[in-house]
Amino acid sequence: MFQQAIALIFIAIFIWRLFQQKKHKQIGNNEFILWLSFWSLGALAIIFIRFLDQVLVSVGFSGSGINFLLYLAVISLFYFVFKLRLKLSKLEKNLTDLVREITLK
Amino acid sequence: MKIICVIPAWNEAKHIVRVIDKVKPLVNDVIVVDDHSTDNTSELAKNAGAFVLRHPINRGQGASLQTGSDQALKMGADIIVHFDADDQFAATEIPEVIAPLLKQEADVVFGSRFLGKKSNLPFSKKYLILPLGRLINHLLGAHTSDPQSGFRAYTKEVAHSFRIENNEMAHCSEILIKLSQGKWRIKEVPITVTYHEYGQKFSGGLRILKDLFIQKIRQ
Repeated sequence: MFQQAIALIFIAIFIWRLFQQKKHKQIGNNEFILWLSFWSLGALAIIFIRFLDQVLVSVGFSGSGINFLLYLAVISLFYFVFKLRLKLSKLEKNLTDLVREITLK
Repeated sequence: MKIICVIPAWNEAKHIVRVIDKVKPLVNDVIVVDDHSTDNTSELAKNAGAFVLRHPINRGQGASLQTGSDQALKMGADIIVHFDADDQFAATEIPEVIAPLLKQEADVVFGSRFLGKKSNLPFSKKYLILPLGRLINHLLGAHTSDPQSGFRAYTKEVAHSFRIENNEMAHCSEILIKLSQGKWRIKEVPITVTYHEYGQKFSGGLRILKDLFIQKIRQ
């Protein structure tokens, strides 16, 4: 219960940051929806962790919480890699705009 | 009507003079965007009579096309033609590609390798890569017969209406998809392509898919 509360607090902080980024137009609509869905699903998974354990057991996985945390860790790594890709893509775009401005002077 | 041809070029010293010589008599101006070549593409293009822009670092074909199109608009273009520097397109077909624009029957014209004229397309490209590309474009809202044609022309109004954001090869699909979603009248014209080398491989197609996905998320 305590661990669930801590995880939910972290997710709430991430979602608050997301809304801040949207407010300051640092991210687009699609990106906002993508991350909001991601964190909301994460929060739901934590809230219904016992149910999730039962589901995992029923499909043949071990029901222990530590396994679930490992799955979460892998998902988080995917998240960070994907976020880096998006950031890189934005940097590339800015670089091209700058190159174009210099070229057209 | 002022017609300007934009030719993106990267290390095209071997072909660029021949291409400019063929294109120049058919248009009012030729803009070559040298994407930071390591050979003497810029000098050769300048000597052949093209207006030459050079990117200070390499940014890709899509980026070069947008730079060239911006310059064309600055020079007062009414019609912008995109043409490749590798001598694979037939310059003699430029009048056919721009004809629907001059007759005001279309706002955008895409050259197509699949409308009758014979191109020496490699087998895997014709029966695997391009049909897959067509399917993906179709799912994304572009319904043209050629999913990756680099030979196209459009009016200045169209040029003002959109920006090419994909620096690499995904720009072909990006242009098709963006213009298909707009209010523009689109026409396809048969073109001939002579392949000197294979060009884009299957791995390139996967990269295009990834770039389109990243761009969609970034929007």
